[in-house]
Amino acid sequence: MRGVSVIFRRELAGLFLTPLAWVLLLFAVGLNGFLLIALLRSSGGDVDGSLNFLLGQGGTYWMLMVVMPPLLTMRSISEEAKSGQLEFLCTAPVTDTAVVLGKHLAVCAFLAVMWASVPLFGGALEILGVSPDWGQLGMGFLGAVVTGTLFAALGMVASALSSTPLLAAFLGFIFNLGLLLLPFGARSIGGGIGSLVGQVGERMNVLVHLQTSFMRGAFDTADLVFFLAWTGLFLFAAVRLVEARRWWS
Amino acid sequence: MISVEHITRRYGSFEAVSDLSFEVERGEVVGFLGLNGAGKTTTMRMLTGYLPPTSGSIQIAGFDVLKQSLEVRRRLGYLAEGVPLYKEHRVIEMLTFQGRLFGMGRKQIQNRAHEVLERVGLDGRARSLIGSLSKGMRQRVGIAVALLPAPEVLILDEPTSGLDPVQRMGVRELIIELAAERTVMISSHILPEIEAVCGRLIILHKGRKVADGTKEGLLLADGGSQLLVRLDARKMDLDTVRKLLVRRVPRAETSVEKHGGELVATIKSTEDPSELVGMLAAERGWILHQLAWREASLEALFGRLATGVAEGEKVTA
Repeated sequence: MRGVSVIFRRELAGLFLTPLAWVLLLFAVGLNGFLLIALLRSSGGDVDGSLNFLLGQGGTYWMLMVVMPPLLTMRSISEEAKSGQLEFLCTAPVTDTAVVLGKHLAVCAFLAVMWASVPLFGGALEILGVSPDWGQLGMGFLGAVVTGTLFAALGMVASALSSTPLLAAFLGFIFNLGLLLLPFGARSIGGGIGSLVGQVGERMNVLVHLQTSFMRGAFDTADLVFFLAWTGLFLFAAVRLVEARRWWS
Repeated sequence: MISVEHITRRYGSFEAVSDLSFEVERGEVVGFLGLNGAGKTTTMRMLTGYLPPTSGSIQIAGFDVLKQSLEVRRRLGYLAEGVPLYKEHRVIEMLTFQGRLFGMGRKQIQNRAHEVLERVGLDGRARSLIGSLSKGMRQRVGIAVALLPAPEVLILDEPTSGLDPVQRMGVRELIIELAAERTVMISSHILPEIEAVCGRLIILHKGRKVADGTKEGLLLADGGSQLLVRLDARKMDLDTVRKLLVRRVPRAETSVEKHGGELVATIKSTEDPSELVGMLAAERGWILHQLAWREASLEALFGRLATGVAEGEKVTA
């Protein structure tokens, strides 16, 4: 898997060399920082509650999760296919799987850096004299990383399907929103949470998988497997789509 | 080194390449010639394994480009059309990336990078941002990137397109140098470019191979250069004229025919025998109507083949 690490390093460097990545980073960190201060004020200094809000309890977390990964993955495949760089990579002695994996990992690493701002805020509070619950904060951060990984994998699928980055980003939003809202849709179709369709939808509930383990500061392998398995499935689809592009063209 | 067997590639109902076959030996420099849309890029993409042929098979260095793709890719340097480079990186970073893709070590990459940059005349620009380079320089960076892993086979798709004449000459000289060491395939729609560099030409028209051979071979097969002589036929004997012409211009292929009141002789020769025939005519008192030397040129041949004037025609040598 030499190829994965080579592609990963290039992609990560490439991401940090584009202005868009810095704008996104600044926006996310700024938003979280602003929110944290507002939350601390309104809750009268509830440090753990405020940090938990940033890492999954609040709507901003899910908004960032839906919006950020597609904006990072939109260029990965669709733009490179257009500009010819994908042709360069796919004629280099690395597998298509390595190309997709390397690109995906780079986006995940970027998202991890973005979410690392929250534990960093925790560190700042620690210095100021209020110690957060580090176990919970650490698990919350890990949860953000695996959620980002899942949504970025969906973004890769969108990117592999689209001919332009704009379309890739838009399709990515829709996919991500769709995944988030899937259990609610299943509930209304099946006629309640108790129905069979509702139950299947509930299994796919990203919110629940995150809230029952990572956000409580508890580690459950079943939930981790949920995120990683779906990530793997989506990445597999993305690899196949990259291969299929050549047959279509 | 390269063996292409009956490849066809369709895009929907459009057939971009039809039943193309050829072999390239190690160390050969082959030029792909054809107008825009003749199927050059499609063929090159199939050679690299990027585009799977609809039917047929390709082997490079004994490996199937689809089934043993990685083995083929390890031996291949490819400069795609439009030179896709990461513009946000520096030249040396791009070269390092290519070296890593090929599994080269850090030290090895460093040495090779300086070697290839010197080769393409960019030794001072290692730290330049690719996006800030001129088109000609970028083209040369592309060639340097393709050369870095010292591939056995080099495939260059339109390596001189969009360059000014001076840059073009530079790239041409570079390719001539490279040709000495490895198998090279170059595509272009500009004939002099290919003529100067390639020992062998393959001309494509509408996805079909219409000519394949060395420059000399193709010209010969096309009829070669010839002198056309038209004489007044009165009181002239066809056989005598032929004999006299053959005696005067010995190393040539001469034929004489009678057309109405004229004798028409064609003399196929590598050198222009106008003077000899003129002298002969003066000595014998022939009434010359025309004495015309037609020099065979690749340009004329290419023009005929590539514009489809000679639809269905095929030249092999």
